[in-house]
Amino acid sequence: MKKFKILYVDDEFINLELFEISLGIKYHVFTAHNGIAGLQVVEENPDIKVVISDMKMPIMNGLEFLRKLCTKHSEISCFLLTGYGLTPEINEAIREGLILDCMSKPFEMELIDKEIQRVLNK
Amino acid sequence: MTRNPYLSDTCHTLKPLVPIDTLYLIQWVKKILQEYLYLVKDKVVDMKFLKFEYKITIFYLLAGGLWILFSDKILLILINDRTVLSEFQTYKGWFYVVVTAIILYFFIRKHLNKRRDLERKLQEHQNHLEKIVKIRTVELESTIKHLKETQSHLVQSEKMASLGLLTAGVAHEINNPLNYIMGSYSGLKLVLKKQLDEDEKLNKLLKNLKIGVDKAAGIVKGLNQFSRDQESFDETCEIHSILDNCLVMLNSQLNGLIKIERDYAEALPPCIGNVGKLHQVFINILTNSIQAINTAGKIKISTKTINNSILIEIADTGCGISKEDLPKIFDPFFTTKDPGKGTGLGLAITYNIIKMHNGQLDFTSELTSGTNAKIILPIK
Repeated sequence: MKKFKILYVDDEFINLELFEISLGIKYHVFTAHNGIAGLQVVEENPDIKVVISDMKMPIMNGLEFLRKLCTKHSEISCFLLTGYGLTPEINEAIREGLILDCMSKPFEMELIDKEIQRVLNK
Repeated sequence: MTRNPYLSDTCHTLKPLVPIDTLYLIQWVKKILQEYLYLVKDKVVDMKFLKFEYKITIFYLLAGGLWILFSDKILLILINDRTVLSEFQTYKGWFYVVVTAIILYFFIRKHLNKRRDLERKLQEHQNHLEKIVKIRTVELESTIKHLKETQSHLVQSEKMASLGLLTAGVAHEINNPLNYIMGSYSGLKLVLKKQLDEDEKLNKLLKNLKIGVDKAAGIVKGLNQFSRDQESFDETCEIHSILDNCLVMLNSQLNGLIKIERDYAEALPPCIGNVGKLHQVFINILTNSIQAINTAGKIKISTKTINNSILIEIADTGCGISKEDLPKIFDPFFTTKDPGKGTGLGLAITYNIIKMHNGQLDFTSELTSGTNAKIILPIK
């Protein structure tokens, strides 16, 4: 069976590595270490279904990256990860449907897996 | 003949109509009078403004002098009979004394009445001024109180802002390595799937690793809640999870000697308010309870729903608050703690936060047996 393609964007290298190990078994995982690299990955692989991004990153933060991504690829489902609690900015993004949900760090792979499954089964 | 400096040469040659010395005298008096009149006109030597004692003296002198000069002459003109005249002359002095006394009586009375009036008006004015001063003092006192409260607010919010920045930074920094551990745990579980089914020890090790990470993540989450800088009062506040967060943060201060007893209501409805600020409320009250317990003791936290409100009671077995201190505990800067240990702002801020939630905060306390804090928050 062909694996679904997902993208994970985080500026922490270890997080990218661990994400790939855990979820690479089930999905075809792409990783990027910042927003610009993430946009490029999506350009090269337009069949990516789910994008998960960290909030705090250099160059552009998670929301800025996802906003840019969705103007071109509105069909992609996006999730945000954050080490700080929910901010008004994030709540606003959830309300307007830019992101499906925001998960707090430290994240559990099982939880992320469940969320991805929910989106793909739709 | 000596030359008069005031007369021209022609004058000297002419035969004078009056003796020169007399002429000289008249001119001198004229000059003096002119000067005096000038003074009267120009300066403020009006009778109205003459001092009372001068007026009286002048009147007395004039009356006396005129009486002495003219009384006999007038009597002589009016009365021809000698015996009647001598009789009149005996009473003349009496008559003078009585008339001057009556005139002076009215004169002085009028003057004194004026003074009395003035004094009364002055007194009224003074009373009015005192009243104004009193009103202003009350206003000032309330302004000072308001200022003090604002200052305490500023100090506290400044403190919270820097504390918030610090905790948010620390929380994020700790979260990242926690994320590594959590990620590694997930990876390990996948990689060691086969061994895990067989090896009980490995299973336990991994499970404990997960428990540790969860606990650390909980603390960080609590810190994040506490330091939120949200200002709105429209958040959904789960009182139980706020209380538990606070207890997690204060756990290190319990030293294992203070027992926490939870008596939570089942299915407590949430209230609407500010999550971060409610954290502050319970942290403040619980910190006071912990500090009031010297060695070992108990803090009982109970929650209840009463008439569309949430009642939270926090009772400790600490040293209690004296009767004199109890009414002052909400005053900004009031503290019984040692200098440098407490700012005296905790309960003042707590009270304000509860007020902003339209709630109530009451303390009952008994020295040596403990303090009971009652918080009522409307559900809305």
